[in-house]
Amino acid sequence: MMFKAFFKPVALAALLAAATPAAAGDLEVNGAWLRAVPPVSPTMAGYFEIRNRGDRVVKLEGADVAFAGGAMLHDSRTDEDGQRRMVHLGSVRLDPGDRVRFAPGGKHLMLMKLSQVPRAGESVEVCLTFANHDDLCTDFPVRHNAP
Amino acid sequence: MNTRIAIGALLLAALTLAGCGDEPGSDLPVNTRLGGDFTLTDHNGEPFRLSSLEDRVVILFFGYTHCPDICPAVLARVAQAYRNLDKQGDAGLVQPVFITFDPERDTPAHLREYLPWFKADIIGLTGSVAEIKAVAEQYGVVFLKTDGQDEVYDFTHSDFIYLLDQQGRVRKLYPADFDIDEVVNDVQSLL
Repeated sequence: MMFKAFFKPVALAALLAAATPAAAGDLEVNGAWLRAVPPVSPTMAGYFEIRNRGDRVVKLEGADVAFAGGAMLHDSRTDEDGQRRMVHLGSVRLDPGDRVRFAPGGKHLMLMKLSQVPRAGESVEVCLTFANHDDLCTDFPVRHNAP
Repeated sequence: MNTRIAIGALLLAALTLAGCGDEPGSDLPVNTRLGGDFTLTDHNGEPFRLSSLEDRVVILFFGYTHCPDICPAVLARVAQAYRNLDKQGDAGLVQPVFITFDPERDTPAHLREYLPWFKADIIGLTGSVAEIKAVAEQYGVVFLKTDGQDEVYDFTHSDFIYLLDQQGRVRKLYPADFDIDEVVNDVQSLL
């Protein structure tokens, strides 16, 4: 199982790295993690906080992940009648100084068509992609609960 | 949308007017507006009737396995509640039951592979869309499949968790981010 062989050695280093923010130029990501799901799960969700420390608007569009056939930005919203629905976000705008939180029950990164499902304790690289900015790649530890 | 709001209002009314008869040994009122027996297909492909669990308290909830955010979080919380009960020797008296909104993708075989990971002896139920809708209506649950492409579709849905007593009566509803200790205490109040 190539997947396990690759992730186990990097798990500790990645968990340590997760404690410090990842940055690409004027963007910073904190508290990134993926929710652990069953090995046969078709999807999994990623959470993080992203901050735009620059002086121009940046638009987050999605992510590239080696083991996922697709990634979408979603928002779980509760309607006035109490219904929960998922809204696909084409992009998330980050004005200068903005800090946007992706958290359970709200905005999240949805990974789809998983070829492999990383396990709790492992860590995987997720590259956030933007309309007008270089990718921001950082390790997302897989956890059962929010850090 | 008007229909959904009307059904939501009915659900709220049902919650507000939840039954009057307190049972000895528990402060949880019986909700006379929601619930009832049903038969669906379990994760082994066999017919499953709720009333077959008459000796157990049931934690009943709805969802679908392609849901990445709320559903796995609810499953994990229900599983934690079950494991906490297990540590106190009460697991044999409680049964988590998961009903999918998505029979197209959540087949018995998929549920059979997906649910054991949560280590909570969860019974997964599926059926035809009509069968699932009928059960959902009994419990005041609304779900609506959203348009999608390439098998990427979601559901708009209510996400209450239901506590049923040994007679299958609804005794309490919880939100998706319920307090695990509260559920454990409520289950034990019914034992």
